[in-house]
Amino acid sequence: MARPALLAVAALLALAPLVLPPFFLQLLTEIAIAGLFATAFNLLMGFGGMVSFGHAAYFALGAYASALLVKKAGLSMIAALAVAPVLAGVGALVFGIFIVRLTATYFAMLSLAFGQIVFTVIFKWKSLTGGDDGLLGLWPPDWLKSPAAYYYFTVAVVGVAILALHRIVDSPFGSALKAVRENPRRARYIGIDVRRHQLLAFVISGAFSGLAGGLFAFYNGSVFPDFAFFTKSFEPLVVALLGGVGSFFGPLAGAFGFKLLEWAISRQWPVYWPLVLGSVVIAVVVLLPRGFVGLAEVRAWARSARRP
Amino acid sequence: MSLAGVALIAGGSAAPAAAQGKPIRIGEINSYSGLATVYTFPYKEGLLMAAKEINDAGGVLGRPIEFVFRDDKLKPDEAVKAARELVGQEKVDFLAGCISSGVGLAISAYAKDAKTLYFATHCQTSRLTWDDGHRYVAHTTNNVNQYVRALAKKASTFPYAKWAHISPDYEYGHNVWDEFIAYLKQLKPDVQVTQQNWPKLGETDHSAYITSLLQSGSDAFLSSVWGAQEIAFVKQARPFGLFDKVRYFSASVGNPDELDPLGKEAPIGAITPGFAWYDEGMQQRHPKLSEWVKKYEAQAKKEPTLGASWGYASAYIIAEAIKRAKSTDTDKVIGALDEGYEMQFPWGKVIMRGCDHQAIPPQWVGKVKMNAQGKPVLAEVEEHHGQELIRSCEEVAKIRLTAAGQKK
Amino acid sequence: MHAIANLFPWITNGSLIMIQVMSGLAVGMFLFLVSVGMSLIFGVTRIVNLAHGSFYMVGAYLMVTLVGILPERPWAFWLALCVAPLGVALLGGVIEMTLLRRIYHRDPLMQLILTFGLILVIGTLVLLLWGPDNKSVQRPESLAGSVRLFGQFFPSYYVLVLVLAPLVAVSMWLVFYRTRWGMLIRAATVDREMLGALGVNVAALYTQVFVFGSWLAGLAGALAAPTVAVALGMDSDVLTNAFVVVVIGGLGSFAGSFISAIMVGLLQSFGILIFPAISIVLLFALMAVVLIVRPWGLLGRPEDH
Repeated sequence: MARPALLAVAALLALAPLVLPPFFLQLLTEIAIAGLFATAFNLLMGFGGMVSFGHAAYFALGAYASALLVKKAGLSMIAALAVAPVLAGVGALVFGIFIVRLTATYFAMLSLAFGQIVFTVIFKWKSLTGGDDGLLGLWPPDWLKSPAAYYYFTVAVVGVAILALHRIVDSPFGSALKAVRENPRRARYIGIDVRRHQLLAFVISGAFSGLAGGLFAFYNGSVFPDFAFFTKSFEPLVVALLGGVGSFFGPLAGAFGFKLLEWAISRQWPVYWPLVLGSVVIAVVVLLPRGFVGLAEVRAWARSARRP
Repeated sequence: MSLAGVALIAGGSAAPAAAQGKPIRIGEINSYSGLATVYTFPYKEGLLMAAKEINDAGGVLGRPIEFVFRDDKLKPDEAVKAARELVGQEKVDFLAGCISSGVGLAISAYAKDAKTLYFATHCQTSRLTWDDGHRYVAHTTNNVNQYVRALAKKASTFPYAKWAHISPDYEYGHNVWDEFIAYLKQLKPDVQVTQQNWPKLGETDHSAYITSLLQSGSDAFLSSVWGAQEIAFVKQARPFGLFDKVRYFSASVGNPDELDPLGKEAPIGAITPGFAWYDEGMQQRHPKLSEWVKKYEAQAKKEPTLGASWGYASAYIIAEAIKRAKSTDTDKVIGALDEGYEMQFPWGKVIMRGCDHQAIPPQWVGKVKMNAQGKPVLAEVEEHHGQELIRSCEEVAKIRLTAAGQKK
Repeated sequence: MHAIANLFPWITNGSLIMIQVMSGLAVGMFLFLVSVGMSLIFGVTRIVNLAHGSFYMVGAYLMVTLVGILPERPWAFWLALCVAPLGVALLGGVIEMTLLRRIYHRDPLMQLILTFGLILVIGTLVLLLWGPDNKSVQRPESLAGSVRLFGQFFPSYYVLVLVLAPLVAVSMWLVFYRTRWGMLIRAATVDREMLGALGVNVAALYTQVFVFGSWLAGLAGALAAPTVAVALGMDSDVLTNAFVVVVIGGLGSFAGSFISAIMVGLLQSFGILIFPAISIVLLFALMAVVLIVRPWGLLGRPEDH
């Protein structure tokens, strides 16, 4: 995405609280978090060529770690948010060791299985996690509590995280990862340790997913086991694919488009929204080969085609 | 969402005739898509029927009440999102609704933080007003504690001493079993637990549990499996001959959403609670009941369910709290709730208890039988008031203290 | 300790153990019917059809409607059982030809997302067409009762399933290994490009396979209808089961599906006796163990992993 476009977006985001009512700031906060989750996920999928069906596990690990650090260990929110991604990353490491041995569909399935195991542990370990009653009353400290304040905080944290992920993708490590995705055998021949790269990508992806989870915990005010359920794992997948996996900013665009669509549709049709949303998803897949990002490209192409 | 929007969803049944002025808006968050619709559709019919009656009779403080609906997608975080929108953007006066206990608890936590009054309606966990209770939440229907104790009270009149159970492995299942066995042992000290079965919520095949129950040597068992899962359980259990060997007590099989589809396969002789509006004894005790049922059927084109009665009662309870407060100011309405009050419904007296904002309706327990038309119904219905069964205010205070102590 | 105490009465009660085995097998047979269609579709088209559970659900709901409109005669159930899967096959064919065909050349993940969209659409259409209430289909008179097996009661309907499912399995084997069409299917799972180069109409083959897989899902739903509640939400319940069974068996391996279905059915039967609270995670834990030990499933192809 071009530098001027980036600056324009940054400016818009900074000015938003002056224009938008608090609820929309909260919606944007949620979009930012979803965008981070999807971008972290896409590090693995788009750039690493590995699709995980169990990424909600790391999101939930981050969320629960933050919740428990604040509630049981008495840490401040900021401290908890610094530690939670590390714990999520450790979880990703432990599971990743087994998962990266597999490829394609089996990779996805084992990640799904581990995701459900995490869900089960959270669900059943009631004394620690509250089980399906969840952990309630998780709010940011007073100075960050207002919608505008938490919005700025989230956008700032997400912004830094996205920048970090961008650096990673653009680095030699990122190039090696892309090489592995393209042709693992050739990558091995030129001396790239395939497994190590994949595992590292998995851990980084898990850690940033955990950060997203932590941010979400304080945004939501409570954590529940369904944060780890496999249906939550589909969210970054759908968002990233709809947005466009080829581009780094695709998942962010996807998060923006999808969350907005989802909210508008379910508000308008409280009962039959799945029909509308499902149809939109199908239409996007069939009609937009490059996802939402493709929409911008189609317009650019159409504009250039019209020039004499 | 405008009044027109509400009318569109409700099929035009919320237009106020006699009430004037700015509507009192209540944000209602519930599960309106997916598998919970079997409960929430009738619930909504009851809710809107009551709203119309209230508005036709002059509204609340002269103003019409209006419900603004949102779907929670059975997810607590979606419910919080909807609550934020309703309070922050739509500027509703109060929040209401829930069917899943997790959702109810999440909205309650939000309401406490946002200092908005939340009326939990269809969800049943006692945690709402007890362990996690606070001044910004009220519960307009009975909680697990009440109807499970009614069932346990009935169970204690039988000579069954060896008890097993089959309960879904989540909060509700544990809640029901713990309440049931504690109260049963209190009333009948010789009761012993022979076996525990914990299928996952939404289990499709229970054969293993059924054969397990068959060899457990139990006299009776309690099932808190509900809805589609209980229908599957009953259908699977019958050819194994389970109900002939072990007496079946259920927390929910008496409801029409389960009995009607079961039809000829219904578990005759099962002891279970339920809203048996058709029962002769019920209609004698409650003369206004059949009229209410007719009115409901005319509107909903279906027979009422327990949920429909809950929706109806919820709307009235909310309206009454506002009336007594003589204002829509949150603190004043909480004050009215703190004082507590009683209301008469076509099915009996409902008490809104001040110490915990918990509603206490009548409880009914009956036995499943085939009626003359060959349809399974609840018969030999016994009625107790929840008042006789529910935990006292002192016990609730203790529960809240323990819960608060565990939290930090 | 508690686990052994739970199991002990069983060790001494042979007939109940046998009944547990039989019901485990019956559950396994249901699982096989549910998952074999998904395995087949994946094996040939490489599409993970997430809407498979939705097809199963439609099969069950069609069964309700058909049994409802047909007169109450002994043959009505069997006729409904034959017709309901055909309805689902038709639905599958329509979806394949209008939607899936357009995206075969695309990333398999986009195809996955499309089938995910289908879940939302089909689920809501079912709500719209049949309403929110739970429904039920009764077992036919001849199979409503039970037989005496090892001195215990065993549902007669399960006997039907224990006979029908292996029949389906054997018929499918015959089709795949003894017919030309079956040979083309097997060739397509190995190398579809080569097949196209040899002049076979691969597009038509794909449609046929998808229709067949949908038919199998519909049959599973129609057959299961009398043993469960026909209700919203049955699509997701069955989807996870099918997924796990297919993966454990090895994607695209139809014999693998059969073996893994039996394994899962038996494990579920006995697992809950030993660890009563394990039911939530049993399937996934099993899948994890299998994939760690044998990364391509029981009978999957090693190059696939």
